[in-house]
Amino acid sequence: MQLRDFFTLEAINLDLEAETKDEALRELVGLLGLDEKSRGILFKMLKRRENLGSTGIGRRIAIPHCRSLVVNRLRVAFGRKLSGIDFDAIDKKPVQHIFLIVAPPLEVSNQYLPVLGRIAQFGKEPDVPERLAQIESPEEFIALLEEKGV
Amino acid sequence: MHPQLELLLELQDLHTQRRALHEEPLRDMEEAVFDLKPEDALELLDSKITELIGRLDPGIQRRYLSIIGTLGRAVVPVLNGICYGCYVATPTAWSSEAGRNDSIGVCAHCGRFLYYVD
Repeated sequence: MQLRDFFTLEAINLDLEAETKDEALRELVGLLGLDEKSRGILFKMLKRRENLGSTGIGRRIAIPHCRSLVVNRLRVAFGRKLSGIDFDAIDKKPVQHIFLIVAPPLEVSNQYLPVLGRIAQFGKEPDVPERLAQIESPEEFIALLEEKGV
Repeated sequence: MHPQLELLLELQDLHTQRRALHEEPLRDMEEAVFDLKPEDALELLDSKITELIGRLDPGIQRRYLSIIGTLGRAVVPVLNGICYGCYVATPTAWSSEAGRNDSIGVCAHCGRFLYYVD
């Protein structure tokens, strides 16, 4: 399993318009191509997860995630905001790089946990925040995932 | 989408979040990577679940509580005409109807609330 297999170019936005955490979550959910009601429900669930504790893991990275009935397979998206967004992250620093992961409650292949783990592992690599800040296209984002072998 | 179905979906997703906090690999990751405090999180989830159950219409609430108490999951997806609670085909008329989620549908076999996923 490789992370690159889960990302489509359409679900990568290197220039988010969002200025707040809520706006960023809405914008990322919007990358998944769901209908309006489903987007609303998914946003609520992601907010509920954030209310339990921020998914900002530090080093300018956040990984909002949840399981929801409104998706029928694991979906991921990536958004970047170079000026940073207050995400109430563990290190209290603004977040620039946001990985969204959503999955249905029941998955035949059970990929949710491994994907979450790989993205967390990727985010911990020392040079990743800087490299993510430098990429200029969705293709370069995919290439970085490949280079890191995640 | 029927407003009560929307509530049911939220409730089911909250139950899923709750269950995940009891599953060791995910709970461990939530603690280690995201610094989540499972006990505090469970308390918050329980409080929200109670609040949402209170907003269900009485008849739906009765069915919901009955199913949760006996079958575990009260709301299940329908994929390709199959109820993913009991894996029995739903009536063709219902599963092929436009605006399926605009009404409250229940599985004729297991009684769970149905949510049609495209």
